[in-house]
Amino acid sequence: MEIYEVFKRSGHKDPFSHAGSVMAPDSEMALIMAKECFLRRREGEHLWVTRRSDIHSFSDETLLEIAADKSYRFPEAYRDVVTKREKARARAKGILAERDAS
Amino acid sequence: MTYEEKLARFNQHIEDGGKVETNDWMPDDYRRGVLKFVEMHANSEIMGAIPERECLPIAPSLQRKMSLAAKIQDEVGHAQLLYRIAEDLGKSRDTMIHDLVNGKSKFHNVFHYPVSHWGDVAIIGWLIDGAALVTQAALRDSSYAPYARVLKRICAEEQLHLRHGEHITMELSAGTDRQRAMFQEALDRWWLPIIHFFGPRSNVSKDLLLRWKVKTRTNEDLRQEFLDRYVPKILELGYTFPTPVPYRDGDSYPVRDEDIDWAPLDAIKKNKGPETERRLTWRRDIYETHRWVRDAMNEPAAHVA
Repeated sequence: MEIYEVFKRSGHKDPFSHAGSVMAPDSEMALIMAKECFLRRREGEHLWVTRRSDIHSFSDETLLEIAADKSYRFPEAYRDVVTKREKARARAKGILAERDAS
Repeated sequence: MTYEEKLARFNQHIEDGGKVETNDWMPDDYRRGVLKFVEMHANSEIMGAIPERECLPIAPSLQRKMSLAAKIQDEVGHAQLLYRIAEDLGKSRDTMIHDLVNGKSKFHNVFHYPVSHWGDVAIIGWLIDGAALVTQAALRDSSYAPYARVLKRICAEEQLHLRHGEHITMELSAGTDRQRAMFQEALDRWWLPIIHFFGPRSNVSKDLLLRWKVKTRTNEDLRQEFLDRYVPKILELGYTFPTPVPYRDGDSYPVRDEDIDWAPLDAIKKNKGPETERRLTWRRDIYETHRWVRDAMNEPAAHVA
């Protein structure tokens, strides 16, 4: 018997997501077990199973942390767009007024 | 890092609301505590299927029989999910089932009691599933994340079971005098076990599972939530309570501590409830007669002619 991780997709717009795991002698039985455990009420329209031992992951989760300050990758880094916009408008006001006058 | 340093870091992590995954470092007491707790929950799902199974032949219609059978299948399905969580903490399913059928591990008190008529199905479906839902909903915030995730799914199905139980309750309650008497008689028998279901008052300073936030709320807090939610509904239907009779305190319906007789629960904790032996024997017999299924699962090739 082996542990199989179960993934299900709820609809075509959603990615496969982890549902849980089952114990089974082979992938065929794992699919049957997964269907009985996780899809009794049409909670998904597709299933994947894979041996837990075939899943690879980082053993040290600190390696997943972002090494340096990469705030420029996040929307918060651009929050001062509001003040910048105000300044740009104020600056443009003068230019537009001059253009109207000429 | 020394053990003490690891423990301090773990405690801080929990204190800060952190979650624990299967492969994370955890103190042995945490692992043992979660394992025992989840194993008992799994045992309760699989043993909880038995009293309802005993009611299948007396279902009043084919529709009721099919819906009850589906609910029983859900409970066994919950056991499957929960045993998987427990297995990942280091105890094999074989050992857990072996311990269960040999009376070495525990299951919830309410499943140690007999069922006698369709009124019991109403009580189990509405009030016992209602009580279970109060406790399980609180556990969705458990610090042990794999358990919390599985409970999200279990609670969704328990919500349906609650609706199923309420449906039967309302049918009996809108029915003949005899139907109403069935519900009242079942309520009289089940009320004390339901009060027991939440356990005695928690010892907050000694309860490791509370300290590590595996459990998020005290027994008495959960019991009170259940009482406040269900007592008014039961009164509204015109039923009465046996001891411990809830009294009204504003919007709350507490029972008096001194009115609760804990002796029956103490007996059940030693696996000496009214139906414990008979149901464990039945489970043990099934475990033996169905050995061939497990053998075939373990070695499918040997069973294909």
